[in-house]
Amino acid sequence: MITPAPETAGVDWAEKRYLIVDDFVGVRQLLRESLRSLGARHIDQASSGGEAIGLLQRMPYDVVLCDFNLGEGKNGQHVLEEVRMRHLLPPSSVWLMVSAEKSVEAVMGAAEHQPDAYLIKPITEGVLLTRLNRVWQKKQIFREIDQVYLEKDFLRAARLCDTQVASHKLHEADLLRMKAALLLKAGEPDLAKDVYEKLLQDREYNWARTGVGKIRMANGDHDAARQMFSSVISENRFYIDAYDQLATSLQNIGKQEEACEVLERAAKLSPNSVPRQRNLGNAALKLGNIPLAEKAFRKCLAVGEYSILKTVDAYFGLARVCGQKNDPKEALALLSIAMRDFPGELVHLRAKITEGLVYHESGDYRRARKSGDELEEMLKRDRDRPDTPTCLEMATLLFAVGVKDAPVELLCYVVRNNHDNQLLHDDVQRIFDKARMGEEGAALIKSSRKEAAEMMNKGVLLWKTNKLDEAVAWMREARQALPNNLRILFNSAQILISHMQDKGYDELLMMEANGVLMHVDKIAPNQQRFAQLIEQLQLLVPGRAASPEQFEAEVDAALDGQVSGE
Amino acid sequence: MEDQPGSPELFMFLASTVHDMKNSISVLSGTLENLLVQSQGAAQDNPAYPQMAHMLYQTRRLNDNLIQLLALYKQVGKPGYPFDPHTIQVRELVEQLAGSQRVLLQSKRIALESEFPPDLIWTLDEDLVLGVLAHAINNAVRYTHDKVRLRIAENDGMLEIRIEDNGIGFPPSMLEAGTLVGQGINFLTNSSGLGLYFASEVARSHKHRGRQGSISLENGGTLGGGCIILRLP
Repeated sequence: MITPAPETAGVDWAEKRYLIVDDFVGVRQLLRESLRSLGARHIDQASSGGEAIGLLQRMPYDVVLCDFNLGEGKNGQHVLEEVRMRHLLPPSSVWLMVSAEKSVEAVMGAAEHQPDAYLIKPITEGVLLTRLNRVWQKKQIFREIDQVYLEKDFLRAARLCDTQVASHKLHEADLLRMKAALLLKAGEPDLAKDVYEKLLQDREYNWARTGVGKIRMANGDHDAARQMFSSVISENRFYIDAYDQLATSLQNIGKQEEACEVLERAAKLSPNSVPRQRNLGNAALKLGNIPLAEKAFRKCLAVGEYSILKTVDAYFGLARVCGQKNDPKEALALLSIAMRDFPGELVHLRAKITEGLVYHESGDYRRARKSGDELEEMLKRDRDRPDTPTCLEMATLLFAVGVKDAPVELLCYVVRNNHDNQLLHDDVQRIFDKARMGEEGAALIKSSRKEAAEMMNKGVLLWKTNKLDEAVAWMREARQALPNNLRILFNSAQILISHMQDKGYDELLMMEANGVLMHVDKIAPNQQRFAQLIEQLQLLVPGRAASPEQFEAEVDAALDGQVSGE
Repeated sequence: MEDQPGSPELFMFLASTVHDMKNSISVLSGTLENLLVQSQGAAQDNPAYPQMAHMLYQTRRLNDNLIQLLALYKQVGKPGYPFDPHTIQVRELVEQLAGSQRVLLQSKRIALESEFPPDLIWTLDEDLVLGVLAHAINNAVRYTHDKVRLRIAENDGMLEIRIEDNGIGFPPSMLEAGTLVGQGINFLTNSSGLGLYFASEVARSHKHRGRQGSISLENGGTLGGGCIILRLP
């Protein structure tokens, strides 16, 4: 048999628009020759990440061949992340990442934005065409699933995965991986776990084992989760996602030192991730490991310079480090850069708090007091409260400068809105302890928890005894008192849905429930219960078929009508 | 959990040097391929043609050795190496291999034949396996008369890939080295030892349902010359 040459698989590669990104002119020429031998005519080139972004803004390329290592400035991953986050390429486009050797990034599983394929140099025509065809076919197989995913109909997308598995055995593992992710999104962790476990019977997929670990962790089984992540790492020490998960599971059981060590190991293996360096910096700062925190935050700033994932947290973290090192000058310079580069009220507020903490830690008690007074004034003027971490920092500062009532009020507010989060209560208790209010603080935490729990329980009782109108009214009050309490918010939505299931569709209630759920998704994205409730809510919309069976019944009814009309 | 040997600075320096070298070799072998393709019409009368063909062969050897050194430096087969298996079509494996060796084989007037079940799929680390097979074909180019045959079949639940040639076969020392490597003994006395060792590490990092991949050498096969066999679970 004569050895086959790769065919074009029904794709007209000659007509596509190509972009080659490489800092080495010889490689660009070579790749251009390879593309020309596929018949390609529209080929552009860029010698740096910045130049590539410029071209991508102007032209929707069909295929991008991008070297990972681009010398100074943005690397290939930075370019890809920016392209994906700014939607510079249509979903149908192909991104091939080129590297000199098998990179850690190719298999570490942590990067949120993955290319469609990795190619290792030297790239020969046969490899290029085969991989292009393969990515193209895979995109066709996933196209409908991706579309339904964008419509947030996760369960239907999961069913589509099964349909595709039946006819595309080659992509079985990828399709089932997608199916499990969809089931998780749809709030069906047990079904997702079944998918992972079935896959694991066939092969030790790192992502499947990590997936089971994440589900265990979400169920509160932190010890089992920790063991699963550790076993993935011992099998493949480059699978970075498992480190990040392991650190989270350790933090969830209060083992901050061990979590910090795990993050440090992960940051050594894959140092160019902004979120990982930030998490490491925050963990180290919390433990008072100032040198480690400084190293992580500085690296985070350096990596962030070229990355769209650049974060303001690194400026605040490093400012705190400078304060503790008695260098308020650099700290203040960092804060003014933060305010210049990251607009928004919350950034200003956080800058003001950090400034106060820096003054206090570097011994300038007069200025610290002044920052504290300004914040206290602001709290009196404005009834809205910022997110939980900002509240905790503000309370810490206010106690430090000698204010008492305002931080106590803030901490009680935090506990009421998170009345079932024991780890957070421990953090709050530590802030009280530091302010020499240990016993009083413990009592306040207890009463705040009780207040929130009673509020919630009364709503549940009204609901269970079928006093639905009263339950809805009560939950409205509860939401006013505790605007960011997840359980109260979820129960509110649940009770509104029950009301409509029982007494019929009501547009105002529908909008109210939808508003509550959107607020939850904003303050705490990707909750399982969110997906479940959205699903229930959608079924209530009139004209929307509740299930295939119901749909068929409606069709039958319509047909009957036709028949009898004749 | 051992870190990379040597300091991080040294490692970064080595990594970027390797990056540079690989760019240069890519360009060198690509340019040679283009030149060979262009001068193919007048190949008979061009005295430089066989010399360019040999240059391409040597450049490929340089590239393969570099890949292997790099991979071994990063310890293929140890938990530290990023092993990345995917399910692929065997047909595509053959296509990519044939595509990457086409110009070299043509310039040396060697025919590449292949036999494989058209719909077979397998789960393997494609880049590592392609590296091993490309090196095996390069090796066969040295030993063969005018033919290399790639035979792939599923045999007793294993994927069996045979690269056969119609040369005079491996010398006894190579066969012995093959046997030792097949038993898991390192044989790193010369450059063919390096290739064998790399191939064996790649084979052994493929594990499935309690079975492990292996490499072996034979003389004979369907073409009567040397034969390299890669078996993957």
